[in-house]
Amino acid sequence: MKQSETTIERPQLCVPREHAVSRRRLLGSAAAAAGVGGLGGLLEPAVAEELKRNDKQVVFVWLDGGISQLESWDPKPNTQFGGPYRAIPTSVPGIHLGELMPHTARQMHHMSILRSVHTQDNSHSAGVGRINRGDPKNRGVVYPYLGSAVAKLLGPTSTGLPPYCWVKPYSGGFKTSDAGFLPAKYGALAFGDAKAPENLLLNESISLEENEARNDLRKMFNRRFTQDRRKDWADANSYVFDVADTLMQRMDLFDESKIPEHDKDRYGRHALGRHMLMGRRLIEAGVRFVKVNSYHWDSHGDNFNACESLIPQFDQPFAALLEDLDDRGMLDNVLVIAISEFGRTPKINSHVGRDHWPEAWSVAMGGGGIKRGHVVGKTNKLGTFVDSEEYDIGHLFHTWFRALDVPEDLMEYDNAGQPLPIAHDDCSAIEDLLV
Amino acid sequence: MTPEELLKRYELKPSGENTLINYERQLWQARYSPCGQFLIACGYDATIQRWDMTGEEPQPMKPLTGHNGWVPAMDFQPETKHLLTADSWGKLTCWSYEDEEPNALWSTEDAHDGWIRALAVSPNGRTVVTGGNGSVVRLWSTDDGRKLKELPHPHRVFSLKFHPDGKSLVSGDLEGVIRHWDIEKSKEVRQLNAEVLYNDEAETKGRIQQCGGVRQLEFDADGKRLVCGGQKEPAGGFATGTPCVIVFDWETGEQIREMPMGGTQDGFSYDARFHPDGFVMATSSAFPGKGHVWFWRPEDDKEFFSSNRLPNGRSLSLHPDGKRIAHLTSDSRNGNGRMLKDGEYAGGTAVIRVLDFPEASEPSAEEM
Repeated sequence: MKQSETTIERPQLCVPREHAVSRRRLLGSAAAAAGVGGLGGLLEPAVAEELKRNDKQVVFVWLDGGISQLESWDPKPNTQFGGPYRAIPTSVPGIHLGELMPHTARQMHHMSILRSVHTQDNSHSAGVGRINRGDPKNRGVVYPYLGSAVAKLLGPTSTGLPPYCWVKPYSGGFKTSDAGFLPAKYGALAFGDAKAPENLLLNESISLEENEARNDLRKMFNRRFTQDRRKDWADANSYVFDVADTLMQRMDLFDESKIPEHDKDRYGRHALGRHMLMGRRLIEAGVRFVKVNSYHWDSHGDNFNACESLIPQFDQPFAALLEDLDDRGMLDNVLVIAISEFGRTPKINSHVGRDHWPEAWSVAMGGGGIKRGHVVGKTNKLGTFVDSEEYDIGHLFHTWFRALDVPEDLMEYDNAGQPLPIAHDDCSAIEDLLV
Repeated sequence: MTPEELLKRYELKPSGENTLINYERQLWQARYSPCGQFLIACGYDATIQRWDMTGEEPQPMKPLTGHNGWVPAMDFQPETKHLLTADSWGKLTCWSYEDEEPNALWSTEDAHDGWIRALAVSPNGRTVVTGGNGSVVRLWSTDDGRKLKELPHPHRVFSLKFHPDGKSLVSGDLEGVIRHWDIEKSKEVRQLNAEVLYNDEAETKGRIQQCGGVRQLEFDADGKRLVCGGQKEPAGGFATGTPCVIVFDWETGEQIREMPMGGTQDGFSYDARFHPDGFVMATSSAFPGKGHVWFWRPEDDKEFFSSNRLPNGRSLSLHPDGKRIAHLTSDSRNGNGRMLKDGEYAGGTAVIRVLDFPEASEPSAEEM
């Protein structure tokens, strides 16, 4: 079955598999979840069990600007470009990480590192999009970001919660650009600083009955509006209201008082710690794909002091996330990825910084469908270039789609009659990373 | 002396005539030994490089090896020909630096857990103090490496210096705080404010990086003034900010003069030293190809000399005869992507220039 998109003829707002669970069930779950606030906002146990059994999910940690692979995933201590740091052992004998990642090192048995990533772009402006969209062959369309692709290919989980949520610094909102050629509704629902969208709750002066009447009126107008216009536009419009309606039932997710202090300490009370913790809570609640975003990893100057400030803010919550997902029995189904748009130059410039380096860098991943305690690929002794088979982001997209059990018959989009492979057609999955 | 007279005496004129030492890796410091016979440098390759400077041309000597990671910190024992060095993996070593064959007198492998960023030898030469990424300052005997004392430190230590009276110690940290310690009582006495050299971007810009720090500390010969170096209003990313040194009155703890040099998009002042004639000599490294050397009397509201012809400065060292300085620069262009040179991926290098003062007639000003 091909995924038909952006066609005026499209007969319905959503395909049935995307809303496999009725809203009534969702609201029931939400109500139940609201009643377990004392458990730190954990989702309803029955939903958790169902998620564990059936639903693949993703946490995608994006370190915008480029984390240095030499100070993290691929240390080269005591070499020309290795910098000042030591490498430390991990929970997996023989695998070492940079010394700034002690917490993640203790979780290495849950994850794999691909150390032979070789991508095509060394600029942020183009690189961010290329990596997030899987850098497919140019067919004259803008591909969706991974989150939008997964939202389209797998839809919401059985909870019916929005399939693609983005926890980020600064502002939130509905970010349609991530969807690329897909309908706008596959964009990212962004929670700025892990907070609920503004004005989400009904104004106290509006009763539930009035709100229902208001929605009925809106739907009627929408139907009329849609009759001679592109259906996906109205679709996106309605979707936003549906999402708001869904989230209104889960305001507990945004209630910090429901988070145990112990968890806040474990993840760290800095922005990335709070956002990663929110990521875990969204996954527990049943969001299909959660992107957690951190900016300003672009250490062109004073790289090593920058790393000492930045990397611990990633290390602590990332390790806590892996640990928690494993403790909850969810890691088998939750794919966790940590990635940037590129790595950083082996050469240390006169500003004691490292610049952009797509030639040889690392991506870490763990959980659902990915081998545990494993390293694939290697760089040469100095860390300058890949010294094994090179893998591009297209290989990773194939790998992640396989890990998520995207059915073979969904491996191609249909963009108004234009067949489009969901990942670069010259690449394939990295078998050595897959369970 | 008036600023004009100082300029006449100390103006540096870099030229092709300067003695040059090129080294294949980047270095953090190059210092003349107290006897003036040797120039010794440490840096990114875990070695200590030595040159005999008594002949027409610098003569390289066998490097001192055995360190790991980087060697960012070193200091001379003033009375013996011993050198103390520390590395980024936590090792502290004492060397006899004049011997032709490398000669480590003692070594402590785990002096600290990780990066030792700062090291200083006491005025009487008996004690060496170290600090870095652990929250502790340690004092050691220079005779045998025995640990003498520990001072718990609230933050990681970027810089250390003994007061010339030998009774006090100063430490500089990331957050722009200079702590004055009473060594005998193992007690913090007071704090000097250099907070302009620090920026927590999480608070000021919604970013997540803590930037800057007191990168360097130095007293004048009689201990009346303290100079620190770093970057004014630092920022993450490109590490932009204005290279800056600050001079304090030691008795009052008040700032006498802030001495910024260069633009707000430049980098750090990595080294600042008092000249015996009362002015501060400083050098900065900014974006590759930028940075200054500048000389500035604390009494004056501007420098009497500056030059941008010595970019990417890491250290400067006054020869004990007072007639010249050795100025260390880094040579490592920035740039994204491959940047191959003759098919090879090249790393950064270092250049040390010996720069004579034009009319430095007074001999033997001891290096600070």
